[in-house]
Amino acid sequence: MALLEVKNLTVEFGSEDKPFRAVDSVSYSVDRGEVLGIVGESGSGKSVSSLAVMGLIDFPGRVTADALTFDGQDLLTMPAKRRRQITGKDIAMIFQDPMSALNPCFTVEAQIMEALKVHEGGNKKQRRERTLDLLNQVGIPDPKSRMTAYPHQLSGGMSQRIVIAMAIACNPRLLIADEPTTALDVTIQAQIIDLLLKLQEDSDMGLLLITHDLALVSEAANRIQVMYAGQLFESGPADSIFAAPRHPYTQALLEALPERSEGHDRLRTIPGVVPGQYDRPAGCLLAPRCRYANENCVKARPEVSDFNGRDVRCFYPLNDQGQPTGMATGETV
Amino acid sequence: MSFLDAKPGVPLLESDDLVRHYDVNRGIGKPGATVKALDGVSFALETQKTLAVVGESGCGKSTLGRQLTLIEKPTSGALKLNGTEVGDLTDKEAKQFRRTVQMIFQNPYGSLNPRKKVGQILAEPVLLNMDSLGRKEREERVRATMAKVGLRPEFYQRYPHMFSGGQRQRIAIARALILEPKVIVADEPVSALDVSVQAQVLNLMMDLQEEMNVAYVFISHDLSVVRHIADDVMVMYLGRVAEKGPTEEIFAKPLHPYTRALLASAPKIDPTQRVKTEPLTGELPSPINPPSGCAFHKRCPFATEECAKVRPELRNFEGREVACHRVEEIA
Repeated sequence: MALLEVKNLTVEFGSEDKPFRAVDSVSYSVDRGEVLGIVGESGSGKSVSSLAVMGLIDFPGRVTADALTFDGQDLLTMPAKRRRQITGKDIAMIFQDPMSALNPCFTVEAQIMEALKVHEGGNKKQRRERTLDLLNQVGIPDPKSRMTAYPHQLSGGMSQRIVIAMAIACNPRLLIADEPTTALDVTIQAQIIDLLLKLQEDSDMGLLLITHDLALVSEAANRIQVMYAGQLFESGPADSIFAAPRHPYTQALLEALPERSEGHDRLRTIPGVVPGQYDRPAGCLLAPRCRYANENCVKARPEVSDFNGRDVRCFYPLNDQGQPTGMATGETV
Repeated sequence: MSFLDAKPGVPLLESDDLVRHYDVNRGIGKPGATVKALDGVSFALETQKTLAVVGESGCGKSTLGRQLTLIEKPTSGALKLNGTEVGDLTDKEAKQFRRTVQMIFQNPYGSLNPRKKVGQILAEPVLLNMDSLGRKEREERVRATMAKVGLRPEFYQRYPHMFSGGQRQRIAIARALILEPKVIVADEPVSALDVSVQAQVLNLMMDLQEEMNVAYVFISHDLSVVRHIADDVMVMYLGRVAEKGPTEEIFAKPLHPYTRALLASAPKIDPTQRVKTEPLTGELPSPINPPSGCAFHKRCPFATEECAKVRPELRNFEGREVACHRVEEIA
C-alpha cells in the first residue's frame, strides 16, 4: 500500500453555487523511498494540493476527496486531534520562502525545539542535543553557535537548512517540499537538493517535490506529474516523460525552454496565459492555447486515461513522433 | 558632434574599472565599514549586441546596472558612451544620456505605478523628455509603442493590476523603448515569469533588438536564458569579473573554476548533458570582509597558497579574459 494515497482531491474556494476550483480531481500516490515531482506554472494548483494534504486549507476553502489516506488512515474523517499528531510528525513540509517561514522573534534553537516538544516530548537537555544533531545533519557549519542565532543573522541557504532541520526533526515518513529552492542561487540550490535526496535515501522517506523548474524535477524525481490550471495533465516516470511527452502541454512547455532551441532562433511559445478564476474555458482547459485543439476539445472536457502506460488528460495524446493520435488528418481549428 | 552620435571603431557603451563602494554603519561604538559592491569592472558593449551579466545574488550585478543607468554615481572609474566620459556631463547632457540608456526592472509587480493607467505610465517619459510633442502626438507615440510590444489598443485605459506578469513586463519594456534608446539595461527581466510566458518575453526582446537596433545589458542568474539571448557573457563574483568572453565559448568550455561550478550546478533536463560533480561548498563570502587574495579561493577545488595571498587580475587566455592564477594548468 502506498504511503500517501490521494484520489480525486478537489479544493474549492468562493461561493457554493459558483465555486472556483483551485484543484480539480487530482489523484496521486507516494510510496516509501520514492520521489514524486509535481511541476506546473503558477496557478496550476500544485501548492494548494499539498496544503490540502497537510490540512492547511482554512475556511472558506473546501477540501473534498474520494480518498486521502496516509499509511491506510483516512486523513479527512479522523478527529482533528489525531490529525495534528500526524501532520508535523509523520508528514512534514518545507515551505517556499525560508526567510518568511521562520519566526523572526525566536532563535533557531527555540523554533526547532518547539516541534520536538510537541511531538517527541523529553526534557530540555535531550531536545537541545537532538537539535544540535539535526543542525549537524543538515550541514550547518559551526552548529553550536548557530543554535542561538536569530533568522535575520542567517543567509537564505542557511535558513533553508534550518527549515529542513525543523521538518525532519520528528523523523517524518513523508516530506512535502514546496518550491524548496526557488529563493536560492543555483550553487546553493544544488547543495540543498543533494541534501534533501540524501536525507530521503537514508531514512527511506517519501518525498513530494513541488517545483516549476522542469530541469530540476527531471534530475531529482522518480515519477513526475504535470499540472495545469488545477488539473493533472500527465504523469509518468521521470526518465521517459520529458523524453517523449504524451500531452501537448508537456510538449509545449519543453519547447518553450531556452535550452531546447538552437542558437538565436526564436523560442516556440505557448500563446496566451493560464486561465484564471473567471475565464476558464468550457472544454479542455488548454484548448485556447493548444496548437492541436479542434472543435471537440473546445466543447468537451477530456478525462485522465491510460496511454502507453502514462496517465494523460487529452483526447489526442501524442505518439513518439510528437504528433497527436486518433485525430482525422487536417482536422484542426 | 554630440556624444550621442555613434563613432566608428568606438564601442557604444564602455565601462573602465568601474567601482562602487557603500559605507555602512555597523552599530554604536563599532568602526564603520565599506561594502565593495562593485570593485573594478570593465567591459565594452557594441551596437545591437547583448552582454549578459551573470552571478549569484550579492555579486554586484544589480549594482552594476544602477551605475550604467546613472541611477547612482560610481565611486571611481569611467563610464563612456560613444567614447565620451559620462561623469563630466552637465545636468542637461546627463538627461540626454538617460534617454539613451534605459532600464527594465526585475519585478513587474513593483515597477509600475498602480494609480496610473497604462497610457499615462507610457506617456510620462515622453512628456519629460520630448517637450516639443503635443498631446495628440504623444498619444500617437504611446499607441505605436504599445502595438510594437504586442499590447492591444484597448489596454491604453487600463490599470496595471488588470494585467498578468507577462503583460506587465511588456508594459515595462514599452516604457523603456518609447524614447528609442540605444542601450537597455534589463535587470532579471524574466525571472518573475513562468516558462511559457518567459519565452514570449524573450522572443519579444530579441525581435525588438533587430527592429530598433538596441543593445542589451542583460542581468540574469538563469544560465539557460543567458545562453540563448547573449552574444557575450560576463561572470561576476563578489564585485569583480571572474570570466568574460563569447557566449558559445564560455558554455562549451568554461575556464574559471567558478564558471565551471556555476554551469555544473544548474540542473539539466537532458540526461546526456548531466555531469556528476561535487557541488560547490560554502556560500558567497561577505563583501564587507572579502577573503584575501582570490575571493573564490575558499570554495575553489584548485586553490593553492598563492590564491590565498595574491589577487588574480583579469588576463587574456585563449581569446577570453579570465581572473585565475591557475588557468593554464586547469584548462
